[in-house]
Amino acid sequence: MTGLKKYRKQIQIAILSVVLIIGLYTIGSSLFAEKDSFPQAGEKAPDFTLRGLDGELHQLSDYHGQAVLLNFWGTFCPPCVDETPLLQQYYEQYKDQGLVILGVNLNESTVTVQGFVRQFSVTYPILLDKEQVRKQYGVNQFPTTFFISPDGMIVEKWIGELREHHLKPRVERLVPRKDDTA
Amino acid sequence: MIENTKCECGHQNAVGTILCEYCGKPLHDEDSDLPLEMRYDGVARRSQRSSKSIIDRVWRFFSSVKVAVYLIVITLVLAILGTIFPQENMLININYAEYYKKNYGVIGQIYHFLGLSHTYETWWFRGLLFMIGTSLVICSLDRVLPLYRALSNQAVKKHPKFISRQKVTLERELPAEPSKWIDQFGQALKKKRYRVVQEDDALLAEKNRFSRWGPYVNHIGLIIFLLAALMRLIIPGWQYEQYVPILEGDTVKIEGTPYYLKNEQFTIEFHEPDAEGNVVPRLFRTQAVLYECVDNCDGVDEPVLEVVKEHAIEVNSPLEHDGLAFYQYNYNYTPIIRSMEVKLEHVETGEVYGTFPLRTNDPEAMYEVGPYEIELRHYLPDFTYENGEPATKSKNPNAPAFIFLIKGPGLPQEGNIHIYFPIPDDQIRFQQDRVNEAAGSQFRMSVGDMENVEIAMYTSYLNIKSNKGMTFIWIGSAIFIIGLVMGFYWHHRRIWVRIDDGRLLLGAHTNKNWFGLRKEVSEALKITGIEVEASSLDNGRNLT
Repeated sequence: MTGLKKYRKQIQIAILSVVLIIGLYTIGSSLFAEKDSFPQAGEKAPDFTLRGLDGELHQLSDYHGQAVLLNFWGTFCPPCVDETPLLQQYYEQYKDQGLVILGVNLNESTVTVQGFVRQFSVTYPILLDKEQVRKQYGVNQFPTTFFISPDGMIVEKWIGELREHHLKPRVERLVPRKDDTA
Repeated sequence: MIENTKCECGHQNAVGTILCEYCGKPLHDEDSDLPLEMRYDGVARRSQRSSKSIIDRVWRFFSSVKVAVYLIVITLVLAILGTIFPQENMLININYAEYYKKNYGVIGQIYHFLGLSHTYETWWFRGLLFMIGTSLVICSLDRVLPLYRALSNQAVKKHPKFISRQKVTLERELPAEPSKWIDQFGQALKKKRYRVVQEDDALLAEKNRFSRWGPYVNHIGLIIFLLAALMRLIIPGWQYEQYVPILEGDTVKIEGTPYYLKNEQFTIEFHEPDAEGNVVPRLFRTQAVLYECVDNCDGVDEPVLEVVKEHAIEVNSPLEHDGLAFYQYNYNYTPIIRSMEVKLEHVETGEVYGTFPLRTNDPEAMYEVGPYEIELRHYLPDFTYENGEPATKSKNPNAPAFIFLIKGPGLPQEGNIHIYFPIPDDQIRFQQDRVNEAAGSQFRMSVGDMENVEIAMYTSYLNIKSNKGMTFIWIGSAIFIIGLVMGFYWHHRRIWVRIDDGRLLLGAHTNKNWFGLRKEVSEALKITGIEVEASSLDNGRNLT
């Protein structure tokens, strides 16, 4: 009994510290979980690999050193359809200066995507996403476009249709180098 | 100030002791004759000892039953508030803030703002649960350890005050010789399954001491229960809950697991309509197949799946595998064409060239029918015209349109365009035949019989939960019940006797069923020749 008494204080401290650790973890985990864990502007763009409509594998990190517009779209979304010709125009204009547009399609039938690409003469890479990258990037509204700098950082997350006056200043700021014709 | 806590019997008691731990002498109100407070046998609880350190203050806070009751009441009230409106995790794929505003107005907005829309995940709710757990552990330890020490070190010969102030007492002249009488009384009690200890002219009889541990066993069960709930937070995969809609015939990836689930068929059966014509479903059943991904699991290409298990999921019969349980949760009537067998024929002669299968979800691009090569150039699942151009309103095949390019004998080099709407209404709405005629197509496509069309009628909603903590929940519950039974169905009874100069002094204590105790004492006394009414043993009646 005297032995027990001698260690009582230590036992008490031990119990309280176990309780404290569990408690901090419980409360901490729910506080932490409330935070939005999806990629935001200022963060590194999470890497992914997807099969393209061209049958090739496309990995985001393959485009390191180039400005990337990661565009989430679907043929069923009218603003996505509306902005496609503009995106195509900018792709043609700026691809030699290091601009890449990746059109991440939202899990549609391949034939549907193919038909659309033919209809609008799209030449930038179209990637077929089975919900995986959409969820990874936390995209719930369409279209959503991530502007990614050549060093792989998200500069801006743009929700909604992009118009000329949105796109022009952003692309020009983003492309790694300008030549005289730009 | 140092209090002198040494009893006259020589035992050194802790500060806060009410009855001497050894001889039982009341240490505070020595001159009173009122029945004693026997809770925890009068020993000092750990928290009652005088100390001002932070650890002792925290310990004292959590060891208070009053604090525990407040914590439980607050938690209950908040848990009840959490049931007023549906919780966020019951809602599928919507903006929560808007949902509560739209459906419940300002109150809904406040509800969402306060976090009550996800009460059980908030830090404050978890904090409260955790404090209840802490209080449970500390309250128990604070009482059970001193009680255990006191009960395992009881003096046989108790202080006269201790005996005479019990709720059951008797004091009178002994008719027989003390040691002989005590033997006889001891024998009588042994027959009643008491453990009897004799010492000089004193006796201690005791039974069912284990029932005193009932509440603490019960608490251990509760703690295991709470810890299991906590493990769900700490160990990944233990807390998993999802609501997944699966259309008949679809195979869906179960997020965060290597599994895929296919809804082969959904069945709903109804009871006979009642007098008012209401139909009540009798059975929901999802014939499900669980697959595990074995290759291409990164989502880039079509995954390679292997069948793990098949099960007909009904309301109380989930599919269970690897700690996951798939429950039938809801259903929706969503009739949609999945696939069909399309017949290709000449529009005028009616010559049939053959048939080909056509899916509405990710259809193949190339088909061969008879001498013809058919390429599916475009597929618009929910056809409409947008600025004069063919477009699709959604991903769902509500108005599927297939645009083919047909090549073969007798056709121009570049082929013939042919558009096909499987749904008759759409054929009329979008003037299929006129468009085809204008395009110069000599073909007709049709499905003929409805037998050639596969239609998915229902979307089944499944609730997927991890049940990995269930084993511990069951163990915790079992221990909880065992503790409850120990404390409820057995009663700790003790009888003390001492004889001084031929005078008998008897006292008895129990925590429940005093009537039974008095009866047992009076029966044992009767065997030794002392006739006493059981009821007269009650303290306050026979004390003069």
